[in-house]
Amino acid sequence: MTALLIPAALLLGLVFVVPMLRYVWLSGHADSVLTGLVAIPNQGANWVRLLNDARFWQDAAQTLRFAVVSVGLEILLALAIALLLDQRWRGRGAVRALTLIPWALPTTVMALGWRWIFNTPYGPLEQVSGLLGGPALNILSNPSISWLATVFGDVWKTTPFAALILLAGLQTIPSDLYEALKLEGASAATCFKRITLPLLQPYIALALLFRLAQAFGVFDLIQVMTGGGPAGSTESLALYAYLNAMRFLDFGYSATVMMGSFLLLISLCIICWICLQSLQRRLGRA
Amino acid sequence: MIKRRHQAVGLSVLAFVLSVLLLPSGLYWAQARSVERVSILMPAPFADASKELVHAFNQQHRGEIHLETIRGPLETEAISDLAISSLLLGDAPFDALLMDVTWLPKYAAAGWLVPLDRWFTAADIDALASGAREGNRYNNSLYRWPFTADMGLLYWRTDLMEQPPKTPEDLVQISRALQEQKRVPWGYVWQGRQYEGLSCVFLEMIDGFGGFWMRPDKGEIGLDRPAGVKATTWLRNLITSGVSPQAVTNYAESEALQSFKMGDAAFMRNWPYAWAELQKPDSAVQGKVAVTTMVAEEGVSPTATLGSWGLALLQTSSHQEATAEAIRYLTSVDSQKKLYLGYGYTPTVQALFLDPELMDVNPILPDLLEALEHTKPRPQTPLYAQFSDVLQRDLNGVLTGNQSPSDGMAEATSTSKTILRSAGEVMP
Amino acid sequence: MTLQRRLWIVLLLTWSLGPLLWQLYTSFSINEALVTPFADLPQRWTFAHYQAVLTGDPPFWRYLFNSLIVGAGSTVLTLIIAIPAAYALTRSQARISQVARVVLIGAALFPYVLLFLALLEVARSLNLGNHLLALTIPYAALSQPLAILLLSSAFRDLPIDLEEAATLEGLDLWQKLRWVLIPLIAPATTSTAILVFLFAWNEYPIALTWISDSNLLTLPVAMARIAGSSIYSVPYGAYAAATVLGSIPLILLVLMFQKSIVSGLTSGAVKG
Repeated sequence: MTALLIPAALLLGLVFVVPMLRYVWLSGHADSVLTGLVAIPNQGANWVRLLNDARFWQDAAQTLRFAVVSVGLEILLALAIALLLDQRWRGRGAVRALTLIPWALPTTVMALGWRWIFNTPYGPLEQVSGLLGGPALNILSNPSISWLATVFGDVWKTTPFAALILLAGLQTIPSDLYEALKLEGASAATCFKRITLPLLQPYIALALLFRLAQAFGVFDLIQVMTGGGPAGSTESLALYAYLNAMRFLDFGYSATVMMGSFLLLISLCIICWICLQSLQRRLGRA
Repeated sequence: MIKRRHQAVGLSVLAFVLSVLLLPSGLYWAQARSVERVSILMPAPFADASKELVHAFNQQHRGEIHLETIRGPLETEAISDLAISSLLLGDAPFDALLMDVTWLPKYAAAGWLVPLDRWFTAADIDALASGAREGNRYNNSLYRWPFTADMGLLYWRTDLMEQPPKTPEDLVQISRALQEQKRVPWGYVWQGRQYEGLSCVFLEMIDGFGGFWMRPDKGEIGLDRPAGVKATTWLRNLITSGVSPQAVTNYAESEALQSFKMGDAAFMRNWPYAWAELQKPDSAVQGKVAVTTMVAEEGVSPTATLGSWGLALLQTSSHQEATAEAIRYLTSVDSQKKLYLGYGYTPTVQALFLDPELMDVNPILPDLLEALEHTKPRPQTPLYAQFSDVLQRDLNGVLTGNQSPSDGMAEATSTSKTILRSAGEVMP
Repeated sequence: MTLQRRLWIVLLLTWSLGPLLWQLYTSFSINEALVTPFADLPQRWTFAHYQAVLTGDPPFWRYLFNSLIVGAGSTVLTLIIAIPAAYALTRSQARISQVARVVLIGAALFPYVLLFLALLEVARSLNLGNHLLALTIPYAALSQPLAILLLSSAFRDLPIDLEEAATLEGLDLWQKLRWVLIPLIAPATTSTAILVFLFAWNEYPIALTWISDSNLLTLPVAMARIAGSSIYSVPYGAYAAATVLGSIPLILLVLMFQKSIVSGLTSGAVKG
């Protein structure tokens, strides 16, 4: 019986465990164009470099900022969408299908579209702003706000996924709970606060954790939409690791960046988990 | 007895007939198998421009060599990523590559290229214009044979001024005057986006202010020295004073060209290819444009960033002789003439710059030759991509107002020094 | 339906489909119309952008074809490995299945883009580069967590007496799976298949590093390469045409299989 598990276990080990071990090994070596693409041990010099690499920490902060804001917005929007789709009305199935389309498209396909929509001076946003008499928006060339454009692109694509998860949660809440509360004269807002949110909480946690981990590895969107610019303000950790490997031909350091990102992600997940647990305890007590 | 002899005769007749029939087709098959297929990866515009040359080559070498070009992306970084990706996977589907001058040290150091010394003699090298000779060697071996000689140029509007500016101050003054007279909305458009083009622009300016970017062999970085900060400040001031639009911080060559073509600017920095675009019927500045070298301070020689593309032969090619033959053909004097007349690609051979037939077609040829005398390559080191990346980020940060010029240059210098240090740890 | 709800629905649809519709509009507009949208132009519609994209070299349908091969191959390989594994998981001891579930959820959470360098080295050493079917191996591996979780919960929902009856009739393990169990979980299998197909179709970093031959590119990588390729001053018409063409197959897929997709994701959420 357990023999049936072996192929799957092998594949998973090959694809998850072996690379991680390889990264640990590679990060202790210099393997770059300067070494003729051959690995030479360098006793942790890569890690010293990583700790002192301002760009790595800047990218980590940017990636975290992107992930937190993007996921936060997604969950809020997803909740609204799920509440809308939970009610019964005609054409609900069709609308649900149409809402799913952004999630199904490859990221790079729409990333080109975003480049156009946010384009200065010809994109539609810029034209509308011009019509309304506003100044040139220059979104994609302004380092302080271009990351918001990438957040927008990410939220657009992944909200349907979170919405479906929350919708699943909503549909497990028995309707008599609402009826009971309504009989006591409670408003819709109170119903929401006392029934919906607490019962939805595990689903929100699931969607949050899942999306946070995925957003931390954002790569496709950034590479095609902004290339990491302007002034490196949208560059993510995954993109930095990619550049180190494929453009600078520094595999040792690229592996180090990826291990570093992985460790940061684990810490982030642990912190999230602890926060969620304490939040759960507090809600449970209330 | 007789039957067996009949059999023997019959068999030998059959054998004879078969061999007579099969021999020619066998020969043909053997010959067909020996046609060497050579493919060269080029950015799409170059591939399109070379179509006729490739056809002529195949006619000339029918039955022996079949040449084809593979169209790659235009953006330098995009096609480099593509080439590297193929080379890393080990089985590059092309034998040669049209490479930008800045990739050479990296590709050569990675061991992907074959030295071309045995196919190109010293006489061939002497025939090249001085600027075209740069950027083809690494560790004293010739790895790349130039295809076109590109250099950064300052385009100026002949209908708006008598003489082009010589110093940065001149350029700003002329622009401001023209803008005040409302004869043109913007003074100067250039490439300010965070990409390789920005490094090209910056090299011209930092050298024009009497400084230098970096000297890899000595490990010196010149970015935070006075000339570097001055150059950065000058570029930033172009935007803050309104001589250049804010959007220039997101301009690549095509956006700057579009702006200048529509008549929106008095000056543009771009490569020689832009000239042909500007003479097209849909251009608002047709016939009103000339080129000159980039501005530089008094007493400092102007600099034109070398941007030439050249052909390099890959180690993994199994048709090295045939590919070298193709490279010779594509860069021969005749081919260069055709490319110039048809597509405006700057020749590399000195003699062609003085050819009257070519000068007839395009009056800016002497200016290009002059600019070629002032070309300067970007720092030649296998780590160039990293240094350029650092400069692009910090410079774009200054241009977009994210940090001050001196802070930006200080940061770029310290990051560059870190890269040098790590490299030093690898190669004593 | 109240006016308020109608308003929300319109808002939702505008949000979800607006950007795509804008791309549709852009793809049919001539360049002047894009650059000066409010100018009065006699003729502002054109097929030129679609022509440019479809007659490119290689032609656009090639990318769709490549993605189809990779998607179908990955789906088949994933199911072949995941179905037995999912079944084995439901019939294993509680400890093993607990540990396995935690491991699988962790693997599902993992941002796989971080694996690209090691996988590139695998491609280099085993010469798997530039082979479309070779891509199915990492894709099948990355899809295992989701597939096993979905399929094992489907197996668990099957009443145990059905299986016992089959055993009593003398069917061995493979026969049981083939004739009784797998047909019964068909809806879950369909959901899993669609989700795996979508993942394989949309995957980018591994396809980017494993395939460099332009004839073998999958759709996402081809789009990114188109993004870096423009030689025109205003390339956005062609980009928009490529976006529209690239979206059509997936839109059709979603509309046809939306029930499967939704049930797959939601059951995964509920059981997970």
